[in-house]
Amino acid sequence: MPELQAFQDAFVSALAERTAAPIAAWLPEGEAEPAGLSVYRNTIAKGCVDALAANFPTMASLVGEDWFRAAAALFARQRPPHSAALLAYGEDFADWLARFPPAADLPYLPAMARLDRLWTTALFAPEAEPLAAEAFALEPEVLAGARPTLHPSLAFAGFDSGLPGLWLAARQPDPGEMALSPEPQAILIVRPADTVHSCVLDAAGLAFLTAVRDDATLGEAITAAAQADPHADLASLFAALIADGAFSGLDLGDNP
Amino acid sequence: MTCEIPMPPTAGLGLKSQHYAEALDTAAEGLWFEVHPENYMAAGGPRLRWLEAIRARRPLSLHGVGLSLAADADPDHDHLAALKALADRFAPFVVSEHLAWSTHRGVHQPDLLPFPRTRDALERIAGNIGRTQDVLGRTILVENPSLYLPLTGHDFDEADFLIELTRRTGCGLLVDVNNVFVSASNLGYAAETYLDALPAEAIGEIHLAGHGVDEGGSALLIDTHAAPVAEAVWALYRRLVRRIGPRPTLIERDDDIPAFPVLMAERDRAHAELLEPAHA
Repeated sequence: MPELQAFQDAFVSALAERTAAPIAAWLPEGEAEPAGLSVYRNTIAKGCVDALAANFPTMASLVGEDWFRAAAALFARQRPPHSAALLAYGEDFADWLARFPPAADLPYLPAMARLDRLWTTALFAPEAEPLAAEAFALEPEVLAGARPTLHPSLAFAGFDSGLPGLWLAARQPDPGEMALSPEPQAILIVRPADTVHSCVLDAAGLAFLTAVRDDATLGEAITAAAQADPHADLASLFAALIADGAFSGLDLGDNP
Repeated sequence: MTCEIPMPPTAGLGLKSQHYAEALDTAAEGLWFEVHPENYMAAGGPRLRWLEAIRARRPLSLHGVGLSLAADADPDHDHLAALKALADRFAPFVVSEHLAWSTHRGVHQPDLLPFPRTRDALERIAGNIGRTQDVLGRTILVENPSLYLPLTGHDFDEADFLIELTRRTGCGLLVDVNNVFVSASNLGYAAETYLDALPAEAIGEIHLAGHGVDEGGSALLIDTHAAPVAEAVWALYRRLVRRIGPRPTLIERDDDIPAFPVLMAERDRAHAELLEPAHA
């Protein structure tokens, strides 16, 4: 094995094991535990924790800085980044939190991390021009048979309770008293231009977007939305999604 | 994107996201900006659009922190491809990286880690720089790191190692004067001797940043980028520029980031230093 590789294996062990013993062969006599090793260890931990704090700001604000930094440092040791592009770091942070014993008293926390992750992913998603309302001004039967493309930044997800509402409230500058509604709720996150837009999505909206994602026609998606909530105002739902920039394409099939 | 490298060389500022609007609007003469490409390795989003708008008005430098040139492995293919895409899109006047490693067996350690400067390491790192330059289609500058461990087993001192890399690969040097100061203090050598050993013709850029003391209680100085540039570092900078002549000089600040005008005042001091008639 080349010496550079041997040194790097030893150095990584010294970082993980919190002792300079693995790199003893490269240290002068009398420098058994040099302070410098802690400097590298601390800088690496800070780099990971700062990246997670930037990527999971709502979750961080809910638990406070000390709790967040302690948990994030532990996550970073168990699940270090694999890329230098730390803006994408923390893909499995929400799943890890769900199994993190100190978070057991905070059952909403993994969902907060998951929602932060959806937001951050939308922020850095590919660009696409959202379709304006005019693109949908078609004969009714042509419109019903068309298949829309969701904007590449768009994310949506359903939850068993009002976690999306809690997350949105926690993102306000002065959230005050927050409550978790027991009713199922969904979230819509999309970045049609420079700003990430997020809002609660109702059952009809969730059914509609799920159908579109699964390659349904607009007619099929509207039917799915009506089945999810017979009282939903489907025209308003569709208009709101267009205004949010939810669509970036419309395949008219054989009806160009 | 027509901004060319300023001649004579001028002073720049590390671009922080909280300063985008002021960076776009400022009329400062000769100002250029530098970013870590890793912060822009995204498919899209407002960060890239801000950089595009600022680049349309100012020269830009890409200063990498994650290519891991001193790893005993080829540069990561995806990372290099992402760097190439940014270099093609933003046409920076310089691309730089560090004489350090951070990625090892697929795990990224967000720091600039040390290694024994052996002949074996020289071969490997020269190869990694060559591969990087081949992919980018341009030469890069390589920066001296800040050091915290008194490693043994070196075949070269750092200045000689860097000079050998420039000979073998055609790369240039980015001299971080604060890193020289910090490393010299931590490892017990003279910063002046180190700086004097670097050949003027190899130096393409200079970095200035602040350092701090080790909160762990040791006597080590830490390259925090969280404070103004120290007077002792300004003195070394002046000495270096007097010897080699003006070079594009960057004020780096990555933590405890103050208001834009505060950083611009430091940048203006470096700018004034470069424009002194004695250096021109």
